[in-house]
Amino acid sequence: MTDTLHPQIATLLELYRRDLRRTAPSNDLDARVGDLVAGRSARPAAERAAAAARRRGRMRPLAGWAAAAGVGALAIFAGIVIGIRMEHGAQLAKLAATPVSPPADFSMWPRDSVALQIPAEYSQGSLVAVDPRAAVSGKRYWIDVVVSNDGTVRIDQIVPADSKNISQGSHDGITLQNP
Amino acid sequence: MNNDDVEQMARLAAGDTSALRGLYETHGRALLRFSAAMCRSRQAAEDLVHDTFVALLRGQTLFDPAQGTVFGYLCGVLRHRISRYFRHEKRWVALDADGDTFTPAPEAHEPGTVEEIARSELSAAFRRAMLELPLQHREVIALCDLEELSYATVAGILDCPVGTVRSRLHRARALLTLRLASLELIELEMDETLAQELS
Repeated sequence: MTDTLHPQIATLLELYRRDLRRTAPSNDLDARVGDLVAGRSARPAAERAAAAARRRGRMRPLAGWAAAAGVGALAIFAGIVIGIRMEHGAQLAKLAATPVSPPADFSMWPRDSVALQIPAEYSQGSLVAVDPRAAVSGKRYWIDVVVSNDGTVRIDQIVPADSKNISQGSHDGITLQNP
Repeated sequence: MNNDDVEQMARLAAGDTSALRGLYETHGRALLRFSAAMCRSRQAAEDLVHDTFVALLRGQTLFDPAQGTVFGYLCGVLRHRISRYFRHEKRWVALDADGDTFTPAPEAHEPGTVEEIARSELSAAFRRAMLELPLQHREVIALCDLEELSYATVAGILDCPVGTVRSRLHRARALLTLRLASLELIELEMDETLAQELS
């Protein structure tokens, strides 16, 4: 290891050393040390200078930038969370909008029905069920009734008896038909 | 060892603040030189010297005459303040890119000749190169080469062995040489030894 200086560096060093030797404390520093001696102020100057620089806006703390970046990241995260929640909410709303009642043609059991033919006679303004073996005392009709396992009963048609023959069992006056 | 310094330190420790004036008048200028060599801003350099005397007044540090001179002790206190200042400065961004406000007073007997202007420019360029050195290299050049303190004194100030001072100084000079060469302030003949040291 050598301790010799490059000759040109030695020259530059000498120039700079000479400049530094001419450096003298400013009147401000003299006054501040005078205040210290007099016991008037013992607050570190760097604190005051930093505070003054902040007030003047000459310097900006990196911590401020870090805080701003943190707030930005938080906002992005909050945006993502809100987006996810909104998306989830939309799915829930869509689900809620879907009707929970089964469609009209939906049945827990297979739909089934039977058709009945009931003999009836029209007399005195009303159609009354009668025994088909009884003597005819008025205009006779067949009433076609359909009874379904969904609890509905409907009159399919009413036709005069002379236009329709009874082809199936009619011992009790009610004829079963396949719908 | 300067007995006046030791006596003033003893008076200060006893609560006589007027002793601070004597210490400032004796060492203030040299401390400011060291501080100015370390900092870009003259204001910061003066603030740090002021803070050194504030610490002295508050009795935040204890002086032991057996461990070195008063000046070495003051330099050590100032050095700690400088290190703390630069740690604090890392958290700040200077809006002015250069920030170097150090302008030595012109010599009274020299007119503003071309030679003097050229010398000032060279000196300013050297200062810029020095300020680009890492702190631990800058301080060793400031103390050894600018203040021309002995290695033992510098070792006391830096609180490290003399061998460390030597090696740091060697490395600092090599880095400074490279920097000055890149600024074309010196003509550098890169020999193998220097190349190895810089690599």
